[in-house]
Amino acid sequence: MKPSIDKGSLALGTYVYAVLAFIVIPLVIVIPMSFGQNDYLEFPPKGFTLRWYAEYFSSRQWWSATSLSVEVAFLTAICASVIGTAATYAMVRGRGRLATLFQILLIGPIIVPHIALAVGLYLFFQTIGLSGTVPGFVLAHTVLALPFVVFTTTAALGKVDASLEAAAMSCGASRFSAFRLVTLPLILPNVVSGALFAFIISFDEPVVSFFLSGVRYKTLPRRMFEDIEQNLTPIIPAIATLLIVLSIVVLLGAHLMRSRTKN
Amino acid sequence: MAMNREQTAGASIRISRLEKRFGNVSAVDGVDIDISAGEFLALLGPSGSGKTTILMSLAGFEFPTAGNIVIGSEDLTYVPANKRNLGMVFQNYTLFPHMSILDNVAFPLKMRGVAKPERYARAEEALATVRLAGYGERFSSQLSGGQQQRVALARAIVYRPRVLLMDEPLSALDKNLREDMQLEIKRLHAELGITVIFVTHDQSEALTMADRVAVLKDGRIQQIGPSRELYERPANLFTAGFIGEMNFIGVTVESVGEAIAVSLPSGEHWNVPSTSAVDPLQAGQKAVLAVRPERLQIGGEGAAFAFHVKLADIVYAGSALLLIGHLPDGTEIRARLPGASDLSTLTPGATAVFSVPKEAILLYAGGAK
Repeated sequence: MKPSIDKGSLALGTYVYAVLAFIVIPLVIVIPMSFGQNDYLEFPPKGFTLRWYAEYFSSRQWWSATSLSVEVAFLTAICASVIGTAATYAMVRGRGRLATLFQILLIGPIIVPHIALAVGLYLFFQTIGLSGTVPGFVLAHTVLALPFVVFTTTAALGKVDASLEAAAMSCGASRFSAFRLVTLPLILPNVVSGALFAFIISFDEPVVSFFLSGVRYKTLPRRMFEDIEQNLTPIIPAIATLLIVLSIVVLLGAHLMRSRTKN
Repeated sequence: MAMNREQTAGASIRISRLEKRFGNVSAVDGVDIDISAGEFLALLGPSGSGKTTILMSLAGFEFPTAGNIVIGSEDLTYVPANKRNLGMVFQNYTLFPHMSILDNVAFPLKMRGVAKPERYARAEEALATVRLAGYGERFSSQLSGGQQQRVALARAIVYRPRVLLMDEPLSALDKNLREDMQLEIKRLHAELGITVIFVTHDQSEALTMADRVAVLKDGRIQQIGPSRELYERPANLFTAGFIGEMNFIGVTVESVGEAIAVSLPSGEHWNVPSTSAVDPLQAGQKAVLAVRPERLQIGGEGAAFAFHVKLADIVYAGSALLLIGHLPDGTEIRARLPGASDLSTLTPGATAVFSVPKEAILLYAGGAK
């Protein structure tokens, strides 16, 4: 028996490391490229310069795209976490038969191709005048980010004993106060973690933004695609590197928040 | 103690024609209970008997389909839970894990807008009442199950409600702790004069703690009365079997007069006093004779109420001896005798004579189980 176990674990080990390698390789390629001296993309890069970072930080165009993305991502994080938490509460605590249907609808945006959603939202937003506006971006990104908030909060809410709220109500708390003072503090780390996910999803969402961006309002990913079509300088890997760092920081934060719930 | 001085005595509760249906299922089916102020009432029954639904209707977490609930002089039938001003203790402690013990106990006062210093002073006082003074800074995860339930108790009484509802509060505790807490709750009840409604499926807990016990089955009250009455003269076969141990012997009624003549499966004929009949009986009818195992005595051949049992097992359990035997029709008979009884002549397989004092005999209409 023993040798076959070793073979199995060897195969599993190889597989796991291969998966990890595929995830890490693009990062290993992109990051060095951002420091290349030539004004075209090359790997391995020649020389070392911070020029592309300097260019990004000094360009007004890049900054306006970045600030729009930050604004949209911030508002998306708030909207998605509030709506997502309310929806999760309804699904976990509610007794209605609609809960399952509701769950499928909420998770829908993960399954539906973003391009289909983008085209639909584009045509709809054009008619009602939301296309290329901050509320338009926020609405669209909230739809995309909701499933992630629902995922992170469902598990946490399931672990909070429903009779805690009953106890709070028997102590004189209204249903809303019971939620606000008892349940919410207990699931808050997961809600914040969901909000951070929503922020990242909005911040580097390219497809829907591609359709919704107007001439003036362009999100950072939209601006990056434009640059890829026109110039393709190492400013793209430079921004990509910054985005990677941001994502790692945010996801690490989300992880720390969730591990706090466990203790 | 300041708490006692300000404590308003318990409120009376009147539950009338209470009904609760879930779809086609009747969880509570026409229940009437009058509870006097300061009384300790236990709702006892197997799961699905409706006892919890009655408590939840009192607490305001369920609204009945019909009937009403009056506490004190107020009709609270459809008043939401948070407006009822009742204390409630749940089965699983339900302390708020993110708050300190003191904040937990002070929570009901905070909901009532009591200022912080007074809130904490009164919470400390309530903790002292349940003998947990000085535990305020801790968190629930640092307390044992028994301590957590005491905190829950303190939280339920801190705003001096007139009624305390308890939903199987001791079922999560182990046996010794449970007995301690039973006494603790009784002491609090005596000290505060509060009306207590206590749901349990543990009959000995109900009998020890409550002034009166309501036995429920299928959403209906089978019997309501003081423990002694329930134990010594159960109103029907269900209560007789549910409360304590009982031997049920299928008999035939031969005649009914000043005494009731019955014939036992073991061949004896008894003239039972008519006061033994709980249900009205007629000659020729099948009936059930019920007698508690601890009322059986060994020996007494020729006595008025003696019968023969073929012994199957003799179990020595220290303070008591359990004899298990059978009648010719297969009916199992159990007898509990003092542990020191001399049974040297009895062995499994032998036929023993048991006798019963006449006041220990109960007769019910119907066939044996």
